[in-house]
Amino acid sequence: MTYTASKSLLTMAATLLALSAAQAQAPAKPTNPAWQFGAVLDLTQTSRPLALGGRDQGLQLGHSDLTASGPLGPWLRAQATATVATHEGKLEKGIEEFWLETTRLPAGLQLRAGRFASQIGYLNQQHPHADDFVERPLLYRAFYGGHWNDDGLRLNITLPTSFYWMVGAEAFRGRKLVAEAAPGSPGGLGVSTLSTKLGADLNRQHSWQLGLSHIHNRREAALEDGDHEHGAEAHEHHHHHHGAQFSGRKTWLLDGTWKWAPGGNNREQQLRLGFEAARITGLNRFARGSDKHEANALSAVWRFNPSWEVGVRSDWLRARQPHGDHFHSVLLRERSLMLAWKPTHMQALRLQYARQRDAHEVENPSRGTWQLQYVMAFGAHGAHSF
Amino acid sequence: MVRTASEPRRPRPWARLLGLGLLLGLALPARALTVFACEPEWAALTRVLAPQARLHVATHAGQDPHHIEARPSLIAQLRAADLAVCTGAGLESGWLPMLRQRAGREPLLFEASDYVALIDAQPGARATPWSGDVHAEGNPHIHTDPRRLLEVAAGLAEQLQALLPAAERPAVAQRLAAFQQNWRGRIAAWERQAAPMRGRAVAAQHSSFGYLFAWLGLRPVADLEPKPGMAPTPGHLQQLLTSLRAQPPAAVVISSYQDPRPGRWLSGQLNGTPLLVLPATVAEDAAAPELAQWMDGLLRQLLAISGR
Repeated sequence: MTYTASKSLLTMAATLLALSAAQAQAPAKPTNPAWQFGAVLDLTQTSRPLALGGRDQGLQLGHSDLTASGPLGPWLRAQATATVATHEGKLEKGIEEFWLETTRLPAGLQLRAGRFASQIGYLNQQHPHADDFVERPLLYRAFYGGHWNDDGLRLNITLPTSFYWMVGAEAFRGRKLVAEAAPGSPGGLGVSTLSTKLGADLNRQHSWQLGLSHIHNRREAALEDGDHEHGAEAHEHHHHHHGAQFSGRKTWLLDGTWKWAPGGNNREQQLRLGFEAARITGLNRFARGSDKHEANALSAVWRFNPSWEVGVRSDWLRARQPHGDHFHSVLLRERSLMLAWKPTHMQALRLQYARQRDAHEVENPSRGTWQLQYVMAFGAHGAHSF
Repeated sequence: MVRTASEPRRPRPWARLLGLGLLLGLALPARALTVFACEPEWAALTRVLAPQARLHVATHAGQDPHHIEARPSLIAQLRAADLAVCTGAGLESGWLPMLRQRAGREPLLFEASDYVALIDAQPGARATPWSGDVHAEGNPHIHTDPRRLLEVAAGLAEQLQALLPAAERPAVAQRLAAFQQNWRGRIAAWERQAAPMRGRAVAAQHSSFGYLFAWLGLRPVADLEPKPGMAPTPGHLQQLLTSLRAQPPAAVVISSYQDPRPGRWLSGQLNGTPLLVLPATVAEDAAAPELAQWMDGLLRQLLAISGR
């Protein structure tokens, strides 16, 4: 999508708003829920950090947040989330979400504006406290800084089909994907996404969802200095933990989720299988067709009792690290095994073991990391998506 | 079901897809009133009042209605509905808000709990990580009291009439009147039948049948859950056993969606106290008379223990 396209998206959105205001009828009974407030606390103890990981060694305050969400008049809904976390011993605060969304546009259309998590992939839109593993998959850590939220616009349509089918477009500033853009990169809404999600039940016990997303990133990462020393250390200063480590012009992301609950009673027992794969091309102006970043994640989680879950995940990353006019190959594999105890839905205690292998051009891969995570929610913490 | 879209392909340029979506959405033909029922009892009640309505039923008696996932199929069903008939009082708070947010189109929401008085309200109670599921408004499992079902029926009839064409409204009023008459007769009969049970003690898992017990005068003396919504733990069951041994209850009562093992263990330890697994609600595709049959069944199962 070009910049003019983003502008036309804005115009279209304004038209739709006007249209819906004209069409809106007074409801028979107000259907908007009240404002809700909640907080989440995440404490994690890590034996040694993972390469490209989001957790420090020792005790860390993970992604903890305060959220408020609710209606703003009859046509809008708003949500704001402030987060705190410690990173390398320092307390970091931020506004993670601050958005407005329409609730009454016709034809299943929804427009959102503000700061929010992009709907690409399966995991990106989920709040990290609902994750099944202590660390996000390598795919997210390497390409999106763990969790890609950004300032922008979204227009979605849920189609009137008997199965679930959503098609949506977003336009973002893209600062998090490319922290330091090369001269000449566009300002404004430099990144656009296009996503579709499909899903249905096979029967009482089986449900599935498939997603396909495309990201068009017009912000090119600033080139490394030509007189650099080869080695991963050189990049540490440029690529801060929160941003993406690897970027490129075009991304394709495929995600699939399969859930099975015996008898359909997911509260008692449930198997969740998840798969995500990403391919990024157009790394920079020196990239050839064969230069691409790829990553995938495959996970299985089994709830064997209302309060206990066990899960495994296998991650794989292959990337091309730019060095002036050429690239270095980066490779990393990671396996994670976790056991979680959830005595109530407001608390989770998770023990995880992760191991990284086949590391090439990756600094400090972990040969074994133990993590103990405690997540606690207060008040309303929002319903979780599938 | 409305199936107006072809199978998806790789997204073409965004504008084309969006245009296609707009066309599909706007070209939707006129159709019968479509109702999304959060629980099967409300689907059955809707069938009593508006048998012509197209119904999507989100849950079934084998599922814990507090813990439904916001599955894609449910989003599509809510998207297609004109009216959502739910319990409210926090029962669906873990999944209905997400469905409404994702559906992109909000049907009217009818919440049955708005039409009845709730028991066990805890004004000002707040959920903490250690409190379990707190329903400050009160117990949301109102459908197990047939008197309250009658009140909900009147409210639902009014809501359906507001959505139906004028020509169909008198029929709804007639069906409501017939249902009320029939149901009042049954309530009187059920109350006579259940009279010998009055005052008997029961141990139950969760407050699923709290209204049934209150109506019939049964005394819930113990809950298998250590905290509301929290699965029974061995330690808590052991405690219950100790406290109940001196005066064992007439029955251990659990719901069809609960794991029977904790209840079975307790009933086994309390020699001679039977375990009753009561159906949480009617079948999803229940025809109108099945509401009464379900209530008959509950009474029959409970009466079997009244001789003890």
